[in-house]
Amino acid sequence: MKKPLAIATSAAALFSAVVLANPVRDSLLAGYAREAGVSGFSADAGRSLFLANFTGGKEATPSCTTCHTNSPAAQGRTRVGKVIEPMAVSRNGERYTDAEKVEKWFRRNCNSVLGRECTAVEKGNFLTFMISQ
Amino acid sequence: MTETLPPSPPVWDMFIRAFHWALVLGVALAAISGFFMPVTWINLHIWAGVSAAALLLARVLWGIWGSKNARFTGFVKGPHEVMAHFKDLRAGKAVRHLGHNPLGALMIMALLGTVFLLLITGLAGLGGVFKAGPLGFATSYALGMVALSVHEILAIFLMGFVALHIAGAAYEGLRTRENLIISMVTGRKEFRKNDHDLPEVSSRPIWVAMLFGVALAMLAWAGIWATAKPPFGVPVGPPNPTYAEECSACHMAYAPSLLPAKNWGTMMGQLDDHFGEDASLGQAAIDEITTWLFKNAADSVDTKPAHVFSRTNPASPLAITKTQFWQNTHRNIPDAVFNRPPIYDNGNCVACHSDAESAAFYPANISIPKETIP
Repeated sequence: MKKPLAIATSAAALFSAVVLANPVRDSLLAGYAREAGVSGFSADAGRSLFLANFTGGKEATPSCTTCHTNSPAAQGRTRVGKVIEPMAVSRNGERYTDAEKVEKWFRRNCNSVLGRECTAVEKGNFLTFMISQ
Repeated sequence: MTETLPPSPPVWDMFIRAFHWALVLGVALAAISGFFMPVTWINLHIWAGVSAAALLLARVLWGIWGSKNARFTGFVKGPHEVMAHFKDLRAGKAVRHLGHNPLGALMIMALLGTVFLLLITGLAGLGGVFKAGPLGFATSYALGMVALSVHEILAIFLMGFVALHIAGAAYEGLRTRENLIISMVTGRKEFRKNDHDLPEVSSRPIWVAMLFGVALAMLAWAGIWATAKPPFGVPVGPPNPTYAEECSACHMAYAPSLLPAKNWGTMMGQLDDHFGEDASLGQAAIDEITTWLFKNAADSVDTKPAHVFSRTNPASPLAITKTQFWQNTHRNIPDAVFNRPPIYDNGNCVACHSDAESAAFYPANISIPKETIP
């Protein structure tokens, strides 16, 4: 990697780390890690979860993308036409800053899409993916 | 054949002619919009009707202080004279009236009276059913529905009277060999021997114009004042912030008056399967929202939506879109229109009914949006 590019990349990484860091997100991730007994999460596994199709949940919502679209950076739409703000933290800084809300929507939407509650690993991966976006 | 007398003043003065053709226009607009146009044109119908009624007011004043052929005292006759005229007509010896003949006068009173009753029943219907207009503050839904039924019957009667009026004018024109329709344009009629004419009177146009202006202004003021009063049977409470936050996260804020308390109770008890999604909430939020929904539910609201959506579909008691009324009123709209952006779903009332969240659902506030690129 060329030096200026490397500097730019690290600067960008530093910038996003500063901007995107949030104590609530950090404590959510820490909590999921503790619950799952793991030391870190995978954004790629989070992406897979986000894009996957499930059959165990409710008929109308086979995947996250049903309402949120394939891109976390894009606006989504509920089944009755209401706009859903982007999931990606880079697009929507308010995402995942209210722990109660995060838990509420994980509970509801995992149940709707997967037909069960998500595990701490799944939540941690999902959140890591959205923070990376 | 006939003997023409020297030129004389018009039989029908300027006001009578203008009134006649303006009323034709007003009644035609009201009839076309009422009988044939979609209910979204209700405001055109209302203004055509109100304008016709304003003309009526002017006609009544002119009927008291106007020219001789305009005055009620000149042409309105009792039943004996009407019958006598009718018998003379059948016997072929009825005289020619320069103004209204007794049968024509009867027709005019029927037309004017029916237009007046149409105004009253129309405003009562508008007030009771749509909670709008000057009688909205005082009229119940039940009374409004009765008023609208009477309004419809009167409208059919009016059409019948109009047909009879035209037939009568055609018959009289043939009988006296003259074009009475042209007379209502020019005001002129041939003067003949043995015509029935009325004694001259002096009309008071300025007095009538002033009186009309003052009366119309007072009625308009009273109408605006009454229209602004809160409608009958529509309690307005503050919105519930928890409801707004939780429920309209996913969908428009359906007004509590759209379902009976019993159905809201069922819905709030099964939020984990809410129209095919898990919308579960904490108990505190459920309790708060349920209390608010119960307090403002359809049971205690007198609007049309509250009444029609209270008749829920037993097979799907929580879905407004499954009610008979909803199905009937939306039957001409293809599913594809509901499913395309920016509507997406037939539960997204506010996409077409701009006043849906207030639960007014006034017909003039309906507009189906063109398809958009999502």
